[in-house]
Amino acid sequence: MTKELAIETTNLRKSYKGRTVVDGISLDIERGATFGILGPNGAGKTTTVEMIGGLRKPDSGAVSVLGLHPIRDRSRLRQVLGIQLQSALLHDALTAKELVDLYRSFYPNPRSTKETLGLVHLNEQRNTKFQKLSGGQQQRLSVALALVGRPEIVILDEITTGLDPTARRRIWATLESLRDEGVTVLMVSHAMDEVERLCDRVALLKDGRVLAEDTPAGITQMAEATNLEEAFVSLTGTEIFEGEAA
Amino acid sequence: MTTTQSHITARRPGPRSWGILIKSEAKTLARDYASLLLPLGLPLLVLLTSASMASSEAIGTDGFTAFEFYVLPIVLTMVFAYIGMLNMPTYLSYYRKSGILRRLGATPASPMMVLVSQIVVNALLSLIGIALALSVSFVFFDAVAPASALAVAGAILLVMVSMYGIGMIIASLAPTMNAAIALGIILFLGLGALGGMFGGRSILPEPLQEVSQYLPFGAASDLLAATWTGQPVEPTMIIPLVVAAGASVLISLAFFRWE
Repeated sequence: MTKELAIETTNLRKSYKGRTVVDGISLDIERGATFGILGPNGAGKTTTVEMIGGLRKPDSGAVSVLGLHPIRDRSRLRQVLGIQLQSALLHDALTAKELVDLYRSFYPNPRSTKETLGLVHLNEQRNTKFQKLSGGQQQRLSVALALVGRPEIVILDEITTGLDPTARRRIWATLESLRDEGVTVLMVSHAMDEVERLCDRVALLKDGRVLAEDTPAGITQMAEATNLEEAFVSLTGTEIFEGEAA
Repeated sequence: MTTTQSHITARRPGPRSWGILIKSEAKTLARDYASLLLPLGLPLLVLLTSASMASSEAIGTDGFTAFEFYVLPIVLTMVFAYIGMLNMPTYLSYYRKSGILRRLGATPASPMMVLVSQIVVNALLSLIGIALALSVSFVFFDAVAPASALAVAGAILLVMVSMYGIGMIIASLAPTMNAAIALGIILFLGLGALGGMFGGRSILPEPLQEVSQYLPFGAASDLLAATWTGQPVEPTMIIPLVVAAGASVLISLAFFRWE
């Protein structure tokens, strides 16, 4: 008996101006799982999660998220899917509290503003304007806004890139509490320690294809490596550079 | 297949959400002093510097002076032109470039809500600008009340729609925020200069005078002057404004991008 799937993609393809970015990606992600997408730059990670989130239209292939079509059923999916985008800024003259108040008004049953800011430890900065927050605080607020609507599925793209160790650990704790609530988390990451610690399963992407998909331990074992980072390097043939995605 | 979840129903944000978004846009504008004060201050400056010269010269028999014929129409047009050509496109292209519209598109809200809220907030700012200019005109320069307040209100509405329309054209065509600002400044100063913003169209060379009445700024101030002083409204005062508004709808539909 297989578990219920939250996300299913079948043979997804996408190219930009003749360059193939996603080249036939099929993934099954179980409900309640924390699923990591890893890969070197240009592997098609962000494009893949954006197609799952209905922000980009695949050239071919199918996506089903909780039984919904991300583009056709867009407005239904938006109720239950929280997305944190890699590069999006927010209204930067508004304070953290004002931004949470704004985003929570979009959802029928949102978390309270206090709870939302508390999830990412920003209650003390609630009256600070977005533009005055540090990079890490902006990143955490952005994660909080993806969670404010009590989503059943969260997509997080590079949430801890450029964060200091304390800030990273805080976000990890937040993600672990989401898992306890049964939320399905799909995360794109460059940080192997993060993926190793948080993810139930990982898909390793390169050149728009899935190179391997397994538990972090399974992938490490498959590559005959001692940890995920070594496995990544040996499977993709790429070195990992600190902050390369920043 | 993932199982279809019948409990998920689409729900657009309601009036409360609209209210919060409009308030957020208003706060953003209120904290951006240049965009808040310039569209109020620049027209006032023109009003103060040209009013005292103009208000004594009587034109016609209804008591209207050059103040109502030239100064006030230019000043009112400036308020809408500044907000339409500079404030709105700058904000929209910034929101697009920074990913704010895209981020909102990932929530149940639609980026269209931001566009509408921007228009509402800028309309409010325009009304403040108009109220300020009119108060100063009546209190300090003995302005004569309009021949038909209703006609002036109608003219103001048409001017506002056409100036916002030009702003939407800028926001649709400018690829970056800097391009939007540059295009906005060129259009504001260029159309303004041809429309008499720098001291009356009579100082312009003859061919430019001829052209200027068919351009939105000149047509707008002619229309406001005619409705205020009870002169007949000519098609040339209406057509450029309607064309600008109509073109903006077509160009926005064809070229405006949310991201």
